[in-house]
Amino acid sequence: MGFFWGFIKPLLYLLIFIVIFGENLGIPNYPLFATSGLIFWFFFSNVTGQAIGSVVGSAGLLKSLNIPAYFFPLSETISELFNFLLSLIVFFVAMRWFGMVYDLKLLLVIPCIFLFAIFSLGLNLFLCSINVFFKDIGIIWGTIQPALFFLTPIAYKEQYIVQKYKAIIEYNPIYQFIKLGRSILYEPTLPPAHQWTVCISIAVITYVVGHFVFYRLKNQFISAI
Amino acid sequence: MSNDLIIKVDNVHVSFWQNNLGIYTLKDLIAQRKLPFKSKTILNNISVEVKRGDSLGIVGRNGSGKSTLLRTIAGIIKPDRGTVIVNGTFAPILAIGAGLESELTGYENIKLLLALYGTARKNTNAIDNVREFSELSDDVLRSPVKQYSSGMLARLAFSISLANDSDILIIDEVMAVGDQGFQGKCVKKIYDMKEQGKTILYVSHFPDDVARICNKAVLLEGGEVVHSGDSQEICQKYSNLF
Repeated sequence: MGFFWGFIKPLLYLLIFIVIFGENLGIPNYPLFATSGLIFWFFFSNVTGQAIGSVVGSAGLLKSLNIPAYFFPLSETISELFNFLLSLIVFFVAMRWFGMVYDLKLLLVIPCIFLFAIFSLGLNLFLCSINVFFKDIGIIWGTIQPALFFLTPIAYKEQYIVQKYKAIIEYNPIYQFIKLGRSILYEPTLPPAHQWTVCISIAVITYVVGHFVFYRLKNQFISAI
Repeated sequence: MSNDLIIKVDNVHVSFWQNNLGIYTLKDLIAQRKLPFKSKTILNNISVEVKRGDSLGIVGRNGSGKSTLLRTIAGIIKPDRGTVIVNGTFAPILAIGAGLESELTGYENIKLLLALYGTARKNTNAIDNVREFSELSDDVLRSPVKQYSSGMLARLAFSISLANDSDILIIDEVMAVGDQGFQGKCVKKIYDMKEQGKTILYVSHFPDDVARICNKAVLLEGGEVVHSGDSQEICQKYSNLF
């Protein structure tokens, strides 16, 4: 999507969040809190949005050259990861004014985003291969994304969800990564070890499933795209 | 495998899922509640051998599996059974239009395909060679490929295949839409390549062209090689089909 436009969207969301929730949720350093969730969400949203159509969109190349179809979702994921790392620099500079404490533990965000990227790649492999056969996957994904966004505690804390709906938050894999990232970027303490275990498990399982589905279907791509 | 064999296709079987219920969306799948995919055999027990320097014509009716065979030889399609052994490099298969990215300009397509084949680094004149051979003007090459006529697409596609200095040249009905001047030029170029000892795989619906250019040929019918041998003889058999 490009680096510039990649900035405008989260910035707009951040401004809206500040206007609506900034003062009345009682969260200290609210802009830092919200942004630490938003950058992870937009990485996820961009990377899946780009990768879903990556195999179908490369029909011409796949039909005429012997290149692995795997490269297309992979390259989309890597290029978004690169964009994320660039925006992280801007984030680090800007968040100085919103109470970010510079500390060596901030470097833990690198393994964290790496795990998130593996999770996203797994999901991308799944979505882009299913999209070859059912052309509305992109539309369906675009429809459920806003729901996912609001059900993920990005603008608010998970404590605001009442007990009977807690399961929605607990079984939301995206939130587990945002929780890890936020504890690195926002909380003063180190993320707990079990949070790492949860994220590593989600990333590995999602990748393995996505990889399996992709490799089962990839020989059929040429005739279907 | 003896040294002079460049391509050896051994008992290859290729099948695809065919979607014959017209279910192309998840919405339809949920509405109709049945999986639309059925395996359909495209190539059945194909065995073809090509010697280095040979030119092999592939003829057959529409849908007899010619393009699938080319793609299988080029490694783009993986066979379910059987083996394909190739001792050489390929130029990209550019059937009319396919293989060119329609949103990119002519130049971008040239660069992309040359880069993917590693030619651009070895040969900096490659882009000029493509432009010269295709006789497309600078203005045309700067505009997106989707605006090209089929003849212009064929010119670009064929010129890119030639620019890759590969051992095996694959021509898939690319010449059918070019004007006479370009067709003549292509035929001349193909003869040059033959003289240089390149191997040519040639798909065409014009038996006369095949007989002229190729020394060997195979006739495909329903995904099987029904006849193979001398090109004159095979083309005669092909003509007798209709």
